[in-house]
Amino acid sequence: MALLLAALVAASGVLPLVILAVLGLQILRQRGERSSQEALQAIAEQAAARIATYIAQQREMLRAVGMAVGNQPDAPRRLADVALDAPSLGKLRLVSAETPRGGFTPALKPEQIAAALRGTEVASDTYMAELSPALDVCVPSGRPGSAFCTTLDLLELQRQVQRIRVGEKGYALAFDRTGKLLAAGSGAMRAAVLSRDPVAESPLAAALLTGAAAPPRLRNGEGLDVLAGWAALPALGWTIAVEQPAEEALRGARTALGLLAFGAAVTLLLSMTVGYVLVRRMLAALELEERFRTAGRIAAGVTHDLGHRLTILRQIEQLAAMNDPDYLPRIRESLASEVSTLRRFVTDFSDLTREAKPQDFLPIELNTFADSVLAGAQGYASEANVALELQRAASELWVRGDRYLLERAALNLTRNAIEASKPGSRVRLRVDRSDGHAMLAVEDQGAGIPPDRIATLFESFSSTKRSGVHLGMGLPNVRRIVAAHGGAISVKSKPGEGTTFRLSLPVNGSQSSSPSAPATMP
Amino acid sequence: MWGPLGELAPTGDTEALASLAQPWVFERLFSLDATGQLKPGLAAHVERLSGQRVRVELRRDATFSDGSSVTEEDVVRSLQAGGLQVIQSGGGLIVAPVDSGLPVDALLLEARIFRQSSDGKFVGSGPFAVVSQTDLELRLTRRIPQAGHVNEVRVIAYPTPRDAFAHTLKGDANLIIDLESRWLEFFRGVPSLQVVHGAGRTTDAIAFNFALPRSERVQLARALESQRVRELAYGSAECAESSGTSDGDGILAAGPVLRVLSWGPFERLALATRRALGDRGGEVAHLPPQETLARMKSRNFDLVAVRPLRWPPSGMALVWRTGAPYNFFGYSNRAVDRALDAGDWPTAESALHEDPPAAFVCTRDHLAVVDVRIKNPVLGPYDPLETLPEWEIAQ
Repeated sequence: MALLLAALVAASGVLPLVILAVLGLQILRQRGERSSQEALQAIAEQAAARIATYIAQQREMLRAVGMAVGNQPDAPRRLADVALDAPSLGKLRLVSAETPRGGFTPALKPEQIAAALRGTEVASDTYMAELSPALDVCVPSGRPGSAFCTTLDLLELQRQVQRIRVGEKGYALAFDRTGKLLAAGSGAMRAAVLSRDPVAESPLAAALLTGAAAPPRLRNGEGLDVLAGWAALPALGWTIAVEQPAEEALRGARTALGLLAFGAAVTLLLSMTVGYVLVRRMLAALELEERFRTAGRIAAGVTHDLGHRLTILRQIEQLAAMNDPDYLPRIRESLASEVSTLRRFVTDFSDLTREAKPQDFLPIELNTFADSVLAGAQGYASEANVALELQRAASELWVRGDRYLLERAALNLTRNAIEASKPGSRVRLRVDRSDGHAMLAVEDQGAGIPPDRIATLFESFSSTKRSGVHLGMGLPNVRRIVAAHGGAISVKSKPGEGTTFRLSLPVNGSQSSSPSAPATMP
Repeated sequence: MWGPLGELAPTGDTEALASLAQPWVFERLFSLDATGQLKPGLAAHVERLSGQRVRVELRRDATFSDGSSVTEEDVVRSLQAGGLQVIQSGGGLIVAPVDSGLPVDALLLEARIFRQSSDGKFVGSGPFAVVSQTDLELRLTRRIPQAGHVNEVRVIAYPTPRDAFAHTLKGDANLIIDLESRWLEFFRGVPSLQVVHGAGRTTDAIAFNFALPRSERVQLARALESQRVRELAYGSAECAESSGTSDGDGILAAGPVLRVLSWGPFERLALATRRALGDRGGEVAHLPPQETLARMKSRNFDLVAVRPLRWPPSGMALVWRTGAPYNFFGYSNRAVDRALDAGDWPTAESALHEDPPAAFVCTRDHLAVVDVRIKNPVLGPYDPLETLPEWEIAQ
């Protein structure tokens, strides 16, 4: 009980906070994802800008070399030396219309070569040479009908892309116009650079160059859930993707969520522990207080009832002190009455101490039992000029129980009913089967019980009769006895029309007239 | 790897990819440790009788992969095929070069022990045996499998470097060697692969026509063994040399223009050489290898870019001794020859420095990329992959 109370109190305090925090973190997580994607996008755009700048510088260098060397008599030697100073420019060649086809750079189309020989700068698409990306370029030589052509080795760009790192596992990819990889920072995807096999991002990269949008979150070539930033270089035909596994990019939010869950669990546990300790202390204090209160009620009841009896006994004593023989019968009668009352008083207390023990229960046939109750109450009813009657069930109705206690309970109800009845009226005991239970009802035609009393009717020491013989333990004791038999007690009352108490007990269905069963025991 | 696979044979073409498997199939009498000291192979005991002669006692338990025992006759025949003469002497063999000018150590390191069957196939006594061979793949298995070690090797010849790299990156191949450092970028950060370095045995050099005067060769060596030439030709941090080289300001006396021959991967080195020569730098002729060799043999060059052996020290004798098999440059120096014949490598080195046959520009590491599951992928020291049988595989 204490644990449940503590859990409820703690949960009601902590859970709303946890829910609020989880909602807050979800919002943070979404924002974190967005900001990660923006960061990746920025890196991709920076990389694209660097690539564009690098290519522009290479072509500018080519033009400068062309201008400087084109008209020199030792141009071939100077061109050869360019390979030492600018290895990325490749092997520069002076080509003309007489140059055999094989002397041109491999990726240029015939119309591009023709344009180059007319003095126009031309460039091919990027392609994979033996092991690194390459770009064929021709620049004007300054001599009519000729041009400087070379294959730019883009190994340096490939390195730059492959060296981009985001966090521990983020990397960059570069794609050509067809969506094939030119560089891959992810080691596991690098084989595709050389094998020219498409990867999961290939169609997205190719589509980006045509103006389509690329997704900010996708499954990459390794099947990982990644966040991505994209940038396109339409002039060069390159697409850059910078990817980071979502698991890593969102690790901060996940860690916070985990910490929160852990913190909430610890807080909840702590609250429950503290709550449990406090609730136990409170319950112990309440129990002690309740005991004092109960003792007070008992003391008040006993004091009141015994005080009343003492007053009567003192009056009898005063009567006896007069030594008047005429008073002797009255004194005898009064003493007998008081002794009877005090005996009942003691019996009520005695009933409170007797516990029902299921292992000692015996079969009881309820009709016969009701006969016995009726017989027990007959004398009291006659004194009160109240008629008693019994309405039996149609057939035998067996229950199991402590016959003495059940009889005390039934007699209590019957005597209450007689006391509540006007002279000349009737009290009826009714035995019946109802909803699979055995039922014993006690009905009177008295004044009824006020509705505001019904709710506290079965509480201890709550009797308001205070007639001097009612301790207020009767009905609570009846309820205790019935509950100990697995049954229940209910009451219906209408002021001015009477009251019905119903005892409901489990039917002992398998029981028949067993020879050993004291079915007719009085 | 890429290129033609070739045939696996104990002698002959070492350019063929199949020759990578030589050390696993064909044992030598002895090998070298990393310091250049002899390590027993098929020989149980080696005794140096002189710079030109050693006495060898054979291990008695060795068998060929066909199950037959390795006999003294097999060893004698194998050594003779390697240019050595052998005399049987009291339970041992006295080995000396046929050509008295060559060091017996260097020849023994090149000579592998084998037996040729009647159908022309070679068998060796090494830990691996050939299972099958096609034009594209040589398959070998360990004769006696060892738990936790490499027990099967497939040498796959891909048509191009790109194919070889792509398949290695995909995990179809577990090892690739002879990489240029610029290509390592492809493999860095690949979780399934590790980069392995091993000391290189050769040095990129500019060899001089021996007809050039000694004083000029000394000046040329000082001018070309410089950081400037190295950086021009290879970029920074590519070469292992860090000391013993000039700062590149050696003054080259006026004289005739010098032509530079280059081939294969040496075009930049040749251009850097020409620039370092200043006014004396002449034509750079970048030719196919066979044409370059022909011009070297006919002494039709002034300077030529080459890659001579630098390690082990006895290897110098194969290149720089008068009349040595790889001495295409006409170099002849009696002091060098005497030191080499005596096995006195420091003196030979010093004599070469006094009368340089070449400018030694750049020694580069062997570079390999190996499956990360290999725990101890050490390269070399002689053949790059001779230690593969000892490699351990992480469980």
